[in-house]
Amino acid sequence: MATIGLLVVLPLIAAAALFFIKKDSLRTPVVIGFAALIMLACVWLAIGHLTGTMEFYPLKSQLITYATLVIDVILGVYVFVKGIKHGVPFASVLAGIQTAIVVVFELTVAHGVNIDNDIYVDSLSVMMAMIIGFVGSGICIYALGYMRVFQEQHKDQPDRRHIFFSIFFLFLSAMFALVFSNNLAWLFCAWEVTTVCSFVLIGYTRTEEAIQNSFRQIVMNMLCGLAFAIALVYLGAAGILELDKLINLGAIGLAAFPIALLAFAGLTKAAQIPFQSWLLGAMVAPTPTSALLHSSTMVKAGVFLLAKLSPAFGWNFNGMMVMLIGGLTFLICAFIAISQSNAKRVLAYSTVSNLGLICACAGVGTPEAMWAAIFLLIFHAVAKSLLFLCVGTAEHHIGSRDIEAMDNLFVRMPTIARFMALGMLTMFIAPFGMLVSKWATIVSIADTGNIVLMLILAFGSAATFMFWAKWLGKVLAVAQHSADLEKGVSKSEWFAIGLMAFMVLFCSVAFPFISESVVVPYLAQFEQFVFPGLLPAWQTISATLGFDNLLIMAIIVLAILASFAVFFGRSKKRIVPIYMAGVGVDSEKRSYRNSLSGVSESSQRNWYLEDWFGEKALLPISNIMGIVVLVVGIALAYINLGGGALL
Amino acid sequence: MSSTIKSPWIIHYDASSCNGCDIEVLACLTPLYDVERFGIINTGNPKHADILLVTGSVNERNISVLQQIYEQMIEPKVVIACGICATTGGIFKECYNTLGGVDKAVPVDVYAPGCAVRPEAIIDAVVIGLSILEQKRVALAQGKLVSETTAECVTAADKIVDGQTVRAAALKITKG
Amino acid sequence: MTAISFILALVGFGLVAPIIGCLLAGLDRKITARLQGRVGPPLLQPYYDVRKLLAKENVSVNRFQDFYIAMSLFLAILAGVMFFAGGNFLLVVFLITLSTLFLIVAAYSSRSPFAEIGAEREIIQVMSYEPLVILMTIAYFLAVRTFDVGAVFGLSQPIIVSLPLVFIAFLFVLTIKLRKSPFDLSYSHHAHQELVKGITTEMSGKTLAMVEVTHWYENVLFMSWVGLFFVWGSWIGILVAVIVALTIYFLEILIDSNFARVKWQAMLKWSWLVTLVFCTINIVVLIMVS
Repeated sequence: MATIGLLVVLPLIAAAALFFIKKDSLRTPVVIGFAALIMLACVWLAIGHLTGTMEFYPLKSQLITYATLVIDVILGVYVFVKGIKHGVPFASVLAGIQTAIVVVFELTVAHGVNIDNDIYVDSLSVMMAMIIGFVGSGICIYALGYMRVFQEQHKDQPDRRHIFFSIFFLFLSAMFALVFSNNLAWLFCAWEVTTVCSFVLIGYTRTEEAIQNSFRQIVMNMLCGLAFAIALVYLGAAGILELDKLINLGAIGLAAFPIALLAFAGLTKAAQIPFQSWLLGAMVAPTPTSALLHSSTMVKAGVFLLAKLSPAFGWNFNGMMVMLIGGLTFLICAFIAISQSNAKRVLAYSTVSNLGLICACAGVGTPEAMWAAIFLLIFHAVAKSLLFLCVGTAEHHIGSRDIEAMDNLFVRMPTIARFMALGMLTMFIAPFGMLVSKWATIVSIADTGNIVLMLILAFGSAATFMFWAKWLGKVLAVAQHSADLEKGVSKSEWFAIGLMAFMVLFCSVAFPFISESVVVPYLAQFEQFVFPGLLPAWQTISATLGFDNLLIMAIIVLAILASFAVFFGRSKKRIVPIYMAGVGVDSEKRSYRNSLSGVSESSQRNWYLEDWFGEKALLPISNIMGIVVLVVGIALAYINLGGGALL
Repeated sequence: MSSTIKSPWIIHYDASSCNGCDIEVLACLTPLYDVERFGIINTGNPKHADILLVTGSVNERNISVLQQIYEQMIEPKVVIACGICATTGGIFKECYNTLGGVDKAVPVDVYAPGCAVRPEAIIDAVVIGLSILEQKRVALAQGKLVSETTAECVTAADKIVDGQTVRAAALKITKG
Repeated sequence: MTAISFILALVGFGLVAPIIGCLLAGLDRKITARLQGRVGPPLLQPYYDVRKLLAKENVSVNRFQDFYIAMSLFLAILAGVMFFAGGNFLLVVFLITLSTLFLIVAAYSSRSPFAEIGAEREIIQVMSYEPLVILMTIAYFLAVRTFDVGAVFGLSQPIIVSLPLVFIAFLFVLTIKLRKSPFDLSYSHHAHQELVKGITTEMSGKTLAMVEVTHWYENVLFMSWVGLFFVWGSWIGILVAVIVALTIYFLEILIDSNFARVKWQAMLKWSWLVTLVFCTINIVVLIMVS
């Protein structure tokens, strides 16, 4: 209990302190110190609660409830003013309505509702806290070095790094509050803080594009906040303002509509179609921001909520809605990622796509699906942050974030390229993390006989292979004699990248044990999975997935890593130039003697298949499909059809 | 008998042939001659090939190309000059732009003259080339093979005897 | 899958598969030659080729390529061993995909324009057949109620009875997996002019020998996937499976000899379409029936 308080308060203190620290020399120890403290607190929490059952704490603090109300109002006013100032009245209107609803609700309805438990802790929230604590703080440390270079490269702009770091820690604090709140009003407050934090971070550079994109983000997320607020009102009227009670109620009768709204909020936050554009727009921000938004915070808040609600989903309209939106997003965004050459956009589409898979798993709502969702979430967090940090550092040193410019990174930035390759392998190929989770997804949808998801998964996985493999190939291309550009990378960046790489490896090797000792027991405590006739959670997972198979995977990972360590690059063969049709001049530059006896350089670009998988070809239709599914899903929930199971 | 001579893969380079000899090289692949019987495959890649078949004479323009292809082939390797132009320069020998036969550019192991060279002569030359290939393989395995470079290639038009297919005079295979 | 079955499969597949794969490759060349009215090479020609390659000088374009190829070979063997030990079908599929990825990366690492085109096409090929392979494993699961390959021996009838359309779709992409015309885009015996040798352009000597041996292993594995459809709890099943697999192999050679290469667009479009239509119908019917 005290540790949870510590986890929320520690980053808050850090945020307050960093707001006033404008000197680099002082900022560095403060950031590192607090990051270390947060990690320690996370470990402490994990020791106590990682494998335990769900525990609740009745805080019954009116003070905190009023504080959340004040925060809600401040956020509302902030967005309102910003909206007016930058000529986006729509954002102001949304903020106004939302704040008004919340204030009225808190002062009238919410007062009468009895709340037994404000705070809870279970394995899932501890795992989330570990992700936030380690990945989030790691990114904060990374940002120290990165932002120094960033500031040097943008000398014309005033140094506002104190705000940047302050918001970073505020973000972490809000995320910690979010994963432990059982009181939905508190949860909502944390939810809104993360929205506004990312708004500030996206608009950090204050370029026209950044401001425009930050407003796209705030409008979409205010929309989801509004849905959340309306859900609160409905639930308040029914006397339920606690997450666990809501989940126990299931998507039946009364709760169907609010759960649909919460699912909508989660999907929006997780940047699912048709809301994926805000996360794509967020790419204008400095890379640590992208890394933070993608790996441990913001979008993870969305999928976390859906994962929490997962037992209430399944074979009902809410579950169908989440599943279809998730599946659609997984498929379409994997396709579009093929057509992107900007590394950060590929990462963004891959994030959205993977989140779609997590959402789909949450929507399926069977134990294996939840197992898969949790592991997808973990592996995605660590691998994606590793990739973002690598891309950010590479961008600073090669001057481009284009995949084509990363050709031969293997020699130019050897360590970064190897870590990047590790991250990519973890993202898309067995026996590394994500694919194992996908395996469980396949098992779960095969179990439920869901043909739509089967097709989506099969085709989406194929597309995923394509866009990762061709990027991986570019990075691992070798031209022997290239300059090493890695000299200037700061220690803080190395530390953070090393930390992420370690976590990736740790998770890849240790996941059978994480599964057996943490995730399966966590799932075993749910009895209300909607899909009838299933064995208890742990039995089905053990039967279909098999601990021994997981172990085989982990052993293969170890074997591959070991052979890399022992044999990689040890070949004693004589090195010869590449074949260039007999007219090669320089193998490194791939230059050749042309028909006029001059020297030309050949270049080879990856395939992007724009006509097939471009944004223009796919986005309009998929956005329309997404909107239709959302509208129909929520409407059906509203007229209370969500109650009856479909069959 | 080692596998090396059962699996000679060929790369065919047209230096500046009139295409007469090239047609004959291709004719070897047809059902009538069917050189795949001997495991011969026509690859387009010097890194896979064991035997370099060259047709046509060498000129200023293609000498570097031919030399690079030769150098990119992997030991053990054999060069066969196909047709009289490849052997000596043929009727183009006196042309202002012609340097002469293939041996002006790369060390040739077997000459197969003719205008155009007959498929039987090509097959014959390949079979002779194979025994040289085998000798080189043995030398390579014993660490004694001295790779012939294009720099020291012989200027050896005098090695042609009466239009017969003959082996190049000196095989520089063993050290000392 | 037990430790004993794993060890048996390791020895069995590890030693026997290359022999069968080599003979299959030899048979392929012999039959192709006969179809073209030629005598063709000896049956053991692929073996001679590999022996020859092993005797070549050790050269490479970089210090990493042969490692990738070795990994590719290792994983292909591992996938086959898993399969014959009666292990998890999805695991086998994943391992063989990883094996292909290493081949792709090996080609990329050379930075040769020809090899890169080959690698790029190989990726498209993977993208073309991967949906079917995943759906096939799911269909297998729906028919057998487990992913374990060994479970087919407990069946009362072969799974071809419940998965006929999936089998046909599998035959379609098998042509890609076996690198046969009209889908031999990445590594073609007939594309000297445009591709040189595609994905293997920069591989030579021992490295190329490893690629060839990998193909032997892979081909045996893929032909066993064909056989998997025809096995049930009787020894006749194995006989039937072998006969069908050989027939299918002959059919693939026939197709190879009779079709020109198509563009990648056609390959992607057709394989996805066939996968989508055939698998959807088959799986929906399967779910409805059960």
